[in-house]
Amino acid sequence: MLRVEHLTKIYETGTVALRDVSFEVQEGEFLVVIGLSGSGKSTLLRCINRLVDPTEGKIFWNGIEITALKGRELRKVRREIGMIFQQFNLVKRSSVLTNVLSGRLGYVNPLWSLINYFPKEDVERAMKAMERVGIADKARNRADELSGGQQQRVGIARALMQEPKMILADEPVASLDPVLAHSILGYLEEINKRDKVTVICSLHYLDLVQRYATRVIGLREGRIVYEGTREDIRALTDEQFKDIYGEEAQRLGSITGEEAA
Amino acid sequence: MSDDINTRAEEPQGVETRPSIEETTAPQKGKSPWLAALLGLIPGAGHIYSGATSRGVALLFFIPTMVGLSFWRRHVAEINPLAGISEELLILLLAIMGVVYIWSIWDAYRTAAGRPMPLRLLLVLGALVTYIIGWDVTEINLQKAVSEIGDVIPRLSQLAWPWDEAFVRGVEVTEARAPVEVPCDETPPLPPEEIPGEPYIMVSPTCGEESGPVSPTGQRQLGTELQVIGRGFRPGEEADVIWRDPIGNEYRPRATGEVVKVVPNENGSFAFTMVIPSLIMPEVAEGVQTHYVIVRQEREVGELRPSRNLLLALEKMAETIFLGLMATTFGIVLAIPVSFVAARNLMSGSTVTMVIYYVVRFILNIVRSIEPLIWALIAVIWVGLGPFAGVIALTLHSIAALGKLYSEAIESIDPGPIEAIQATGANPLQVVVYAVIPQVIPPFVSFTIYRWDINVRMSTIIGAVGGGGIGFLLMQWIKLSDYDAAGIAVWFIAITVSILDYVSAQIREQFV
Ligand SMILES: Nc1ncnc2c1ncn2[C@@H]1O[C@H](COP(=O)(O)OP(=O)(O)OP(=O)(O)O)[C@@H](O)[C@H]1O
Ligand SMILES: [Mg+2]
Repeated sequence: MLRVEHLTKIYETGTVALRDVSFEVQEGEFLVVIGLSGSGKSTLLRCINRLVDPTEGKIFWNGIEITALKGRELRKVRREIGMIFQQFNLVKRSSVLTNVLSGRLGYVNPLWSLINYFPKEDVERAMKAMERVGIADKARNRADELSGGQQQRVGIARALMQEPKMILADEPVASLDPVLAHSILGYLEEINKRDKVTVICSLHYLDLVQRYATRVIGLREGRIVYEGTREDIRALTDEQFKDIYGEEAQRLGSITGEEAA
Repeated sequence: MSDDINTRAEEPQGVETRPSIEETTAPQKGKSPWLAALLGLIPGAGHIYSGATSRGVALLFFIPTMVGLSFWRRHVAEINPLAGISEELLILLLAIMGVVYIWSIWDAYRTAAGRPMPLRLLLVLGALVTYIIGWDVTEINLQKAVSEIGDVIPRLSQLAWPWDEAFVRGVEVTEARAPVEVPCDETPPLPPEEIPGEPYIMVSPTCGEESGPVSPTGQRQLGTELQVIGRGFRPGEEADVIWRDPIGNEYRPRATGEVVKVVPNENGSFAFTMVIPSLIMPEVAEGVQTHYVIVRQEREVGELRPSRNLLLALEKMAETIFLGLMATTFGIVLAIPVSFVAARNLMSGSTVTMVIYYVVRFILNIVRSIEPLIWALIAVIWVGLGPFAGVIALTLHSIAALGKLYSEAIESIDPGPIEAIQATGANPLQVVVYAVIPQVIPPFVSFTIYRWDINVRMSTIIGAVGGGGIGFLLMQWIKLSDYDAAGIAVWFIAITVSILDYVSAQIREQFV
């Protein structure tokens, strides 16, 4: 479904963020990308929906070469790929409803959308999406009045509005506490299982990786240094994890003390 | 050989000296301190040689400039005894500059040796010379400021409390006029006909020569003496004598400095003589012109009413506020699109957009660096005197100022939401509407109010150069020494600006 071939990204500053990265993702996978800070996880995810333009390499999405697309064509692909961010990236001063509806911008009539008009079906769809993540009662609140966990759920609802075939989640729980982390990843897992939406998600904590991933890619300094299946990861010891990950590797449980393995 | 000198000069390095506050610590490689000192005879050259370029360039300009300025002020004193500096002060200044010069040579030596001197002494001496010269150039005269403060207090008190003039009673006017031709020709005008029961004056002769201008010695060639007799005025009430020129300007001729006045006797009659005043006529007025002598009695009757000046000031104040409003509105409307193309983060997409960005930024900087008053002068040439010129001037300046502030607000927004909206497949316009605009509303509102504030303040003075508004009136009243009327204008400006301050603070609180 998604094929990445020899992807390299060199930023204008000269930083080489990705070096010759190649992998494939099958439909319905929950692929987790791990790696130290600065290893290129965000860059990789952003290359997939072209928020970042890769320097070299190709990305194919259901036979379409994403890396060759421009303008309207690119926007058509983007609307099929939802994205969730570590910092939620909501428009803070807008209402929750408007934030959720904005996930629909790739589909609606562009002129109507400029005056904030959305068709009735879309508003209903937005209400359903918010119900699904449990924030329907906050629809009229300003986005910045919500707690972190609630804001990330708005982010998920926004992605759901795209009727995505794939969701890119860039450290979706890194600014949340462990309980919220499980709740957010729970939603992602449910979307992955029920709606058969492929998920590519970058994560930091081994226990979260083991709990949710169906496959893992490990990045270090822009290179893929590890690839493992569901079984491989479950069998992974802390030592091996540290090996891939570097010394900073931690279990979520080991910080909170509640869920220690 | 130069190596030889170098090694010797480096010897004092070993001696423990207090660490200087300056940059360099290592000796400059291959630089000879003695050569640096020698070059230092030209101020700064030694430093440039030793690699302390900015210090060198500063000295190169500073020393000759200050010496030059000192001689200039002495020269001024020789021409005009009230300005410039004395011989002694010149010597003092040169002595200080001499110290600086020697310091700079010594410092050039030390810089080459890697131990530049602290700048403190130089800064103190430099500031001393600069302020001595600055004091003299700007003709600061504290003694005058104190001794002549008495002159300004009555004016200030008029400005401070002009309201006695703001309300007046209605007047009943008793007046009569008679023509006078200047200069004489073969057919001098006839005196007016007398209508029984009406006030009447007769002037003879009915033509004559005007007074000459005042010569530098205070003398003047007096004009023809006129005999004025009048009847039918209100007895015992003082009457003004007015000269009215062919354009319709009225003014009060003076005799020996005093305004000419006359008091009719118990029958309402009077007789007096006056001299044709010095007439300021436009160049185009050639040949014989008919002027009038008017004698006018005014008597206050009825209720207190707002004076003409008060009404005029009110009218112009309204014009001022609207001027500010229109300019701000046009400024906002035009600055918003401009600010989007002047925002780096929105324009960094391609080379073409970057070129647009640089061009727009450049134009904005130029327009903004030209003061609104200068724009007003240009606009007056363009559309003529009046408030429209002021609107143009303030609009131009507002576009540039707001364009810059707005675009900086756009540049400092959080890129996260923009990425998030882009990721949904939104088009660029949708990205602006959903991710950029909601983020820039608060800064835009506060900058806009700030600008509206500035524009109303500016529009109060833009009239001084003919751009409409109360400023023109204020300037005119001050020129005519009508401090009461000027006071009214000043009060209105102050009241308006304070109300505006309050209102804008309120709005800002609401939005931000
Ligand atoms: N816009 C950019 N311009 C220049 N260099 C960048 C840019 N974004 C990222 N980089 C650099 O590219 C490298 C990879 O960054 P990236 O954000 O992809 O890492 P990451 O794995 O997501 O890290 P983190 O866990 O901290 O989010 C880093 O060295 C980073 O400094
Ligand atoms: Mg990242």
